[in-house]
Parts: sequence; C-alpha cells; structure tokens
Amino acid sequence: MSAVQSHAAAPAVAVRRKPVGETGWHRTLRRFRSSPLSVVGAVIVVFFMIVALLAPLLAHPTQRNPYMIPHSGYSSDPRPPSPEHPFGTTEEQFDLFYGVVWGARTAFLVALSVVATAVTVALLLGSVSGFYGGPADEAVMRITDIFLAFPGLILTVVIVAVLGQSVRNAVIAIAAVEWPTYTRLLRGEFLRVRDMEYVQAARALGSGDVRIIARHVIPNTIYPMLILASLNMGGIVITFAALSFLGLGAPPGYADWGQLISLSHNWIAGTAGDPFTYWYTLIVPGLAIFLFVLGWNLLGDAFRDIFDPRLQGSR
Amino acid sequence: MTTFILRRLLLLPLVAVGVSALIFLLLQFLTPAMRASLYIHDPKQLNALPDLIRKYHLDQPVYVQYWAWLIQVAHGDLGWSETAREPVAAAIRGYFPATLELAIYSFGWILVFGIWLGTQSAVHKDRFLDQVSRFTSISGASLPTFVWGLLLLMIFYGHFGWFPPGRLSLSGDLYVRGGAFHPYTGLMTIDALLNGNLGLFWDAAKHLVLPVATLTYYLTAVLVRITRSSMLETLRTDYVRTARAKGLGEHVVVDKHARRNALIPVITLGSLLFVGLLSGVVITETVFNYPGIGQWGVNASQQLDIPAVTGFALIFAGLLVISNLFADVMYAIVDPRIRLQ
Amino acid sequence: MKNRALALTLALLVGVLAIGTGARGAGAPVKNPDTFVSLVYGDPESLDPAYAYDTASEGIIYPNVYETLIGYDGSVLSRYQPVLATQVPTLTNGLISKDGLTYTFPIRKGVHFQDGSVMTPEDVRYSMLRFMLQDRDGGPSWLLLTPLLGTDSTRSKEKIVVTYAQAARSVTVQGDTVVFHLNHPYGAFLSIVAAWTFVLPKAWAAAHGDWDGTEASWQKFNNPKLQDRYEFDHMNGTGPFKLQQWDRQAKEIILVRNDQYWRKPARLARVIIRNVAEFTNRRLQLQQGDADAIAVDRPDQSKVEGMAGVTIHDGLPTLVVQVLHFNFKIDPNGNPDIGSGKLDGNGIPPDFFSDVHVRRGFAYAFDYAAYIRDGYRGKADEPNGPIINGLLGYDPTAPKYTHDPAKAAAEFKEAWGGKLWDTGFKFTTTYNTGNVSRQVGAAILKDSIEALNPKFKVDVRNMQWSTFLQNTNTHKGTLYALGWVVDYPDPDDFAQPFLASNGDYPKRNSYSNPQADTLVKQGAETTDPAKRVAIYKQLTKLAYNDVPGLYVAQPVGFAVMRSWVHGWYYNAVYGGIDYYPIYKE
Repeated sequence: MSAVQSHAAAPAVAVRRKPVGETGWHRTLRRFRSSPLSVVGAVIVVFFMIVALLAPLLAHPTQRNPYMIPHSGYSSDPRPPSPEHPFGTTEEQFDLFYGVVWGARTAFLVALSVVATAVTVALLLGSVSGFYGGPADEAVMRITDIFLAFPGLILTVVIVAVLGQSVRNAVIAIAAVEWPTYTRLLRGEFLRVRDMEYVQAARALGSGDVRIIARHVIPNTIYPMLILASLNMGGIVITFAALSFLGLGAPPGYADWGQLISLSHNWIAGTAGDPFTYWYTLIVPGLAIFLFVLGWNLLGDAFRDIFDPRLQGSR
Repeated sequence: MTTFILRRLLLLPLVAVGVSALIFLLLQFLTPAMRASLYIHDPKQLNALPDLIRKYHLDQPVYVQYWAWLIQVAHGDLGWSETAREPVAAAIRGYFPATLELAIYSFGWILVFGIWLGTQSAVHKDRFLDQVSRFTSISGASLPTFVWGLLLLMIFYGHFGWFPPGRLSLSGDLYVRGGAFHPYTGLMTIDALLNGNLGLFWDAAKHLVLPVATLTYYLTAVLVRITRSSMLETLRTDYVRTARAKGLGEHVVVDKHARRNALIPVITLGSLLFVGLLSGVVITETVFNYPGIGQWGVNASQQLDIPAVTGFALIFAGLLVISNLFADVMYAIVDPRIRLQ
Repeated sequence: MKNRALALTLALLVGVLAIGTGARGAGAPVKNPDTFVSLVYGDPESLDPAYAYDTASEGIIYPNVYETLIGYDGSVLSRYQPVLATQVPTLTNGLISKDGLTYTFPIRKGVHFQDGSVMTPEDVRYSMLRFMLQDRDGGPSWLLLTPLLGTDSTRSKEKIVVTYAQAARSVTVQGDTVVFHLNHPYGAFLSIVAAWTFVLPKAWAAAHGDWDGTEASWQKFNNPKLQDRYEFDHMNGTGPFKLQQWDRQAKEIILVRNDQYWRKPARLARVIIRNVAEFTNRRLQLQQGDADAIAVDRPDQSKVEGMAGVTIHDGLPTLVVQVLHFNFKIDPNGNPDIGSGKLDGNGIPPDFFSDVHVRRGFAYAFDYAAYIRDGYRGKADEPNGPIINGLLGYDPTAPKYTHDPAKAAAEFKEAWGGKLWDTGFKFTTTYNTGNVSRQVGAAILKDSIEALNPKFKVDVRNMQWSTFLQNTNTHKGTLYALGWVVDYPDPDDFAQPFLASNGDYPKRNSYSNPQADTLVKQGAETTDPAKRVAIYKQLTKLAYNDVPGLYVAQPVGFAVMRSWVHGWYYNAVYGGIDYYPIYKE
C-alpha cells in the first residue's frame, strides 16, 4: 500500500516564494497550527515518542532482554484489568501494559530501521540511477520492476519463511518490499535536479560528483522523502503486525503490538455466553496500533500539505 | 496502438523470468533439510530426511534447480504443489476464480464509492462531509485489516449469525458439486444467475459481504484521500477557473472538466489498487477461511512449497503487467494528449 | 386471563429478541440430520493407506473407508474383534503358532469393495505386500516390514536390498485364510494388524496404473512420490463409507454411505470433513450448528465451555507422550544455542548433557505440576517413563521425578566434577512455533533453572518447522521438546523409539544404553504378557535412573460436539472419528 501512497506523495517540489516579513519556519508553523488534524497527528506522535523513550521508567523490565514481557504464571486464560495489571493480561499472562509501553519502542525501532534501510539503498541506487542514467538506470529500474511485481505481503512472507522468524528478519523482509518506492522517488528527484542550471554549472566548474550529490541534490530531496517516510511509518507497523498475525513476526512474549494482537486472536469471540469477555486483549493493542498509525498518517498528510506548493492557497 | 500493446505484452516473459529468478535466489538461504520440511509432517518421519533430500533433488545447486524448473515451465508444466496436493496449474485454476470474484466486487465498490466520496470531499472542502470523510478515511487507513475482519466476524456472524465465513453454505456446496450445476465463469454469483438459481446467488453473496467489507475498508480510505487531493489540485487549475468564470454550473465544471483530469492519477492508482487488492486478500482470506489464492499463497510460503510460490508469483507478475497495460490504454482514452504521443 | 397471555407473549418476544438471532440453544432442531460436518485443522496428506502416515489422513482412511483384519472393541484397545477376518488369532485357538512366528487369519466371505467387486484372500495378500513394498520415504511401511521381513526398509541408500521372494513368503494364502510368517516373534503383532492392515482390491489397483502384484514389476512401484498413485485421491475399501470427493480448494472431504457394506449400512448418509485453520471460525460454526464436531486445543477449552447445545467429553485417555529431550552430543558448528560452547558460564560444551547429574538436576528442577496446570489446564498426567498409562507393562507404582529445588541443586553441585555450580552455564532451549503447551514448558524450564542459581541462564527460542528439521538433521538441538503419538497400542511402540540405540530419538540424541537394548529386544520378542510386563517395568526403572529425557506430560483428551450427536465413542488410536455408529437427533 505504500506503493499506492507514494505515488500520491511524489510531487515535484518547486522553488518557493517567501512572503515578506515572515521566515520559513514561522510560516510552516502557522500553516501547521491552522489545521486541527495536523496538530492532533503531531500530538499523538510526540506522545508515543515520549512513551517509547520513557519505557524503562514506565514499565520496569524484569528479564535479561527488556523486550520480553514479564508474565505472572503461565495460565492460558487472559485476565481483565486489575491493579497489578492495569490493562489486563494476554493469554499466558503477559502484562498488556508492559507490552503496550515497550511495544511503542518496538514500533519506532522497526519502522525507523525499515525506513533507514530503504533510504540507504535508495540513496545508493537512486543516485547512481538518476544521476548517471544510461544502462545503470535501466538495470535499477528493471530490478525495482521485479520487486514491485510481487504482492508486498507475499514477498515479506517468503523472505521471513526463508530466513527464519525473528524481528531482524522481519525488518529485512519489509525493507525489501519498501526500497523500490524510495529508490524511484529519489531517482526522480535526482533526474530533476541533475538538469538544473546550478548543478550543471557546478559540474562545469569541475566539482566532484559526490560533492554535488551531497551538497545540492540530497538536501533538496529531503522533503519528498520526509513525506514518504512519515506516510510509510504507519504502513510498516501494520505490515509488521500482519506478519506477527501470521506467526512470522516477533516471537511470542515479545513486546510488540502486532504480537499482542496475534495472542488475542483466539479470544476475541469471548466465551460461549459473552462474546466480549476478553475485549481488552484485542482493543488495547489494537488501539495502540490504530493511534500510532493514525498519528503518523495525519502528520504525513500535514507535511505534504505544507511542503507541497501546489496545494498552497487551497488551505 | 496495437504495436504499443504488443510491445508491452512482450514484457510478460521478461518479468516472469525476473520474478522466478528472485525466488530461486532466495533459495540460497535455505538448506536442503529446510526444503525437505515440506514433505515431513511428523517427527517420526525425520529419519527419512536424507532420503527425501535425495529423492527430490534438494541438494542440487540452485542454478541447476532453476534451470530444471525453466525447462519444465517451457513444456507447460508448472510443477506439483505439495501444500495444495495437486499440480500448481490446477491449484491456481481452482483458487483464482474465488479470489477474482472477491477482488472484482471489492474493486468495484472501492472505485465507485471511493471516487464519489473523494470528489464530494474535494468539492465541499472543509465542510462537514469533508471532515467526516477525511477522518474516516484516515482512520480506515490506520486499522490493520485482520483486526477489522475479526471484529466483523465476531459481530455479524458470532452474534447475529447473518454472514458466515467460507464461500458457500453446506447446502450450496452440495448443490454445486451435484450434477445439476454448470460452472461457466468460476464466479459463484454470476454462475448462480446463469444457472437460474437465485438461492445460490444469495448464498454466495451472503458469504462475500464480510470479506468484501474487510478488504475494502483500508483501500477505500486510501482512494478517497488520493481522489480528494487530486481533485483539489485540479480544481485550482487555470482551465477550471476559466470554466467557472465562464459561468458554467459547478456541476458541469466538476463532471465534465475537472473529473476527467483528476481521474488520471486515479487510473494509475486503479491498476495499482487492483494488484494491491490481490495482495490484501491474503489476510482477508485467512480470517474468513475463504478458499482463494491468497490463503494458498501464504500457506505455501510458510511451508516453503517453492513450485507453488513461484507459480503464484508468476501469476501476480503477469497480472501486474496486464493491469499496467490496461491503465495505459485508459490514459489514452481519457486524455487525448496522450494519444498523440 | 387475556392480559396474562399478552404479557407472556410480550415477554417471550422480548426474550427471543434479547438473545439475538445467533445462538442455537439446546432445544434447537437438528441441522442437516443425515449429514455430519466435522471441522478439523490439517489437510490429509494422502488417502492411499500404504502412503499415509499422518493423523489427518488416518482419520479419514480408518475405520471409515478402509478396514483391517481385526479391530478394536470400541474404546478398549486390548480386546480385538474380528473385522475382515472371521476370528482373532490367539495361542488358544491355535491361529497363532506356539513359536509365535505364524499368524493365520480366516478371511470373511461375502464382503464387497466399494466398487462392487468381491473381496478375496488374494486381495488381502496383495494389500499387505503392496503396503510393504511401496515403502515410500517417511512412510508407514516399516510397521509391517519390521516384524515380517526383519528390516525397516526395502532400500539402503537408494538401492533395493529386499527380494520379492522374501516378501512373498512372509504373507501367503492358504485356502480361505491368509497366513503371516514373521521373521522373529513379536508380541505386538496383533496390535499392528489391528491398526495397519488395510485391504484394497488388486484388480482395481492394477487397472489404475498401480502394481499388478507380480514379481516382475514391483520395483518400478517402489518409493513413489505423492502424486504418482491413483490411490492418492481415490479410495476403494470395504468400509461403511466411500469417498465421494476430495475438494482440495475447499479443503474438504465428502464421504457418502456405502449401502453395500458387509454389516448393516451406517445411519449417516453423508460425512463432510473440512479443514478450517482458524479456531474462532470453527467455534462460531459449532455455535451456529453448522458444524457437528470441531477440533479444539486444550488452551481454547474455556471458549467452548457453557456453549448451549454443545457437549464436551473430557477425561479421554490418550496414547501420546510429551518429552523434553537431552542431546548428548551437540553439533557445535554454527550453533547459536550453545553460547560459547565451553563450560565457562557463557555456554555449554557439546557433551554437556552426557553427565547424568546434569540430567537429574534438570529432572528435579522442572516444575511438572505448573506445566500440567498451565500448559494443559490440569488435564494431563505426569508419566513415569516412556511406557505410559494405557499400555501393557505400565507400572503405576514406579517413581517419578518431582519439582524439588533442593535435590536439583544437590545434583547440579555434583555435576562436572563439582565445577558446574560455581561456573554456571548458558544455552537456548527450542520449541516449534505455534505449540502453546511447549511454549509454556519452555518458559517453565527457564524459570525453574534460573531460580536455582543466578549463574544458570536459559534462553528460549521458537522456530519454524523447517528450521527445526534443519536442526535435527545436524544434531544441533540442545534440550528440545518433541512428543510421540501411538502407531499401535503396544509398549514396544514406545520403548523402542525412546530407549533402544537404534530408535528414533536415541539416534538423534546420540544416546546409547546396551542394557536398554537387550531389554527392548526381549520385550519385543516375548509373547507371554506376564513376562513382558516384568521387562517393561525394568525399562521404566532404567529410564528413571538414566534420564535420557524428561517425560513431562501425557495429555488427557477432550472432544467437543453438538448435543444432538449420538453414538460417538473414543478410541486412542484413531486419527479421527468412527462415523459408522453415529446418528443425529
């Protein structure tokens, strides 16, 4: 789905006019504040950042690996919220509160790792492709074609199945699906910038290619990348959760929202008498994912609205 | 036009080779013992591991296995799928119509509803409808499909009993298997009507409601957002402002002028959406036990059924090329400027 | 009067609406009275009785479509009934020879296969030879090959090492009887006959591309692949149901009543067995009455308890044992689970578990009660060895290990010349993904050990089936969980795979105990039940002292079905349900 989103988020960024008397930052902030949904998005993301950073304080780790959720006993029936377990427990008594708090860390780590990997690959391949063109460009484009010809979830499932289930392999698998979109975006930007006058001038003056890329090209590609990445963050977390649901993501007992939902999926229909007996096993981690992704979607939208000049004047 | 289409169709074998090569490349990471896991279902059979590896040639170098597979495919044989317990081609033929049916109804809904709501949102920007649609579409894009699907199943089947999982009810199943039924298209709803059996039609339709609702939620949300922003862009353009200045009614402006151009990025998305749907069916089919290609594909991947995964990937790649081609043809129809190229 | 009637009607209306249109209560009418719908998880691998060696396949094959020479008496596994044979051989009636090498089965007359042809003793012989000589990799052929030919495979390293003559003389037809000539006396032979001697017609098989029963062609039909045989998805047996269709897309098997059955025809007209992987799906269909019986794992029990119109049969004794295996010789190459590979507190050496004090330490440390309570909801028994309850030779008085941290510490203090306690160790225990009970077991193991000494560190890793296979192939497991499900209800079926050095697990774990070997061989060859009991008691004691593995649970089974199902009975050997006596009302 990120492929779908990226096509909407790959605008050409034209040169902006600065209104008199207002710096760029002020203008950005003003536009940001004027849209309530953007503010909501920012608040949500910042909230999760704080939770992730303060995880060790909010939920004290008891295992050697802090990402393994502590469990009091092993009995299989989840328990509802109580003073010792503010959000209740999952199957096998993993504490939901701990899972949600450290799950925020996992979410950021996974999403940022995927984005970092994809961006790195994109920088390498996209720059070669866009800047130098020719057969290198063709080759890179065909390779991205092949990767994009795969339905995303299937490719991630195959990769994790082959490499083995672990968080690290799931990150690799998701990055393998995301990198073509970033590469294409960067390539487009490189193509655009390559033909600009000041770059031509720098080349004529004998500036090294790497220097040109670093000083002129990359800074100008930041905004589209930022938009793509922020819109992607949510999608990555959802994909990771889907992998856990299929038993290919984080291992059981790992503090990850998708894994918590996977633990709940036998319980969501409740007991014979009351279908909502174990509502918290689904609603608590489900809400966490929902809010996290919502925040990033709103933020990504906000970035796009702000940095995409074609929508200026339409606010 | 014809040469254009033919040239694009030539891409098919190239993409097929590329995709299959990618899969066999991944095989490098698998040891023969791991490949043999496909054939061993019980710890008692573990002693047969070395024999199985030899029997199925799992210890040959990957390029040898790939070459053997290519030759086999050249003869029209996609191989045998252990997970499906039938030839890969037969499995695809069997599973694909179910997924196609699901995808078509979902696609139709997404397109019709998504474009309508996106357009209305853009036209009535910032008013109540817009805010509501923006919020629901953003929140729809934030909810994992399987969570939504499980919730729907719990409420509408568990509690109300209205929409069951699977593809047909027991009696529908038995009727279809009986001699009286003739499968024309493989799409249960259409075939039911063609066979003149209204009861079967409702049965099939009932089983499609929840999977379609699950599958479309996320993608409708995405399409609404994209249509909206695309429409917004278009409504700012010069020719639209001109049309408005000329005094043309808003309705005419939107329908005749703006929508056509706003549709261009939507067409791009349409083709991507279709393939995205085929990817989204994986989770949906698993949740609702719907016997389609997505569920089979995931199962095959998890059990390392390589012939199945490869065959499956080929079909998707082929669909992608064809849907891209279709999109290009649509561009040409919608935008006369493209035709001239 | 009128007001009361009105009030009553209103109350009823409100009551009905309040319940919701979903749940089908106990008084609800039977849905599909002549069709039985069973929801399981797991596809059958093959419907060929000589190929299939998994529970899902067996559940369909036996005893519904194919039958054997003798059968069980309902739930009682130690009593046999004649089925396709007219008498059960015993020493008393002379049908078992005094030396225990010859078993004679008089074959029933007037039995028809599902295609209408008449069953003859020649068909029985053909079926036995076919079962042995097909011998596909990982298949069940060893079950007849071992007692009849004295070898567990027709091949050695891809070359055929068995002659047709050997097989031919092990099963012969004499008039109206079929005679088995064993290679060595085997007390459990009747047990195998009851579970594995499926009969199919020779003419039908030969007409559909299978072996024609002659010496000239048998080698061509040896070791087929799944799809090579017609019988893979076509069945033709003598049983009360015949296969109508195996729809692989819908993951469904449809059986229909065989009206030519040699006993009274079954009451059900149709049986549908469908593979539904999602538990919630299965459970909701049961609730709605669309399914009559569903597969439920023990951890999911609370979700079906109290369901209206549903009966739960609990306390079913199974012949399954769950074991934590010690690997005596771990392959250290590229092994992530042994840490440093040395006895330095950060790993374990490859022969770590070869020290009996280490093993006994683990045996005393593990909290069996917690495991059974939380991994099985209390519905399991702790075994005292591989000879479990329900088998001949089970010794209820034999000692078991209990959770005793003091004794565990004492054992560990003696381990490795007394060094282990001060040095400590670290390793990873593994289990296969998706198995909740094993997940709990691993967690308990970790907590129990780490509570003894802060220098003892145990990590837990779950792995996919394919990775697990890879590990097993290369002896990389450290302490891992695997069970054993009954092939035939005889103690040899459990003793040999766990204790004999040529058994499945000892080979994998490099465990070898000559005394065990002798005892296992004796137990197998003795026909006198009393003598066998004594031998297996000794083996149980040996397993207790030598601790090649921790025998942690013998689960208790439970079955879930609608209350309108009658005639169901439990049998620990069947892979599925015996549909013959079942009816719905």
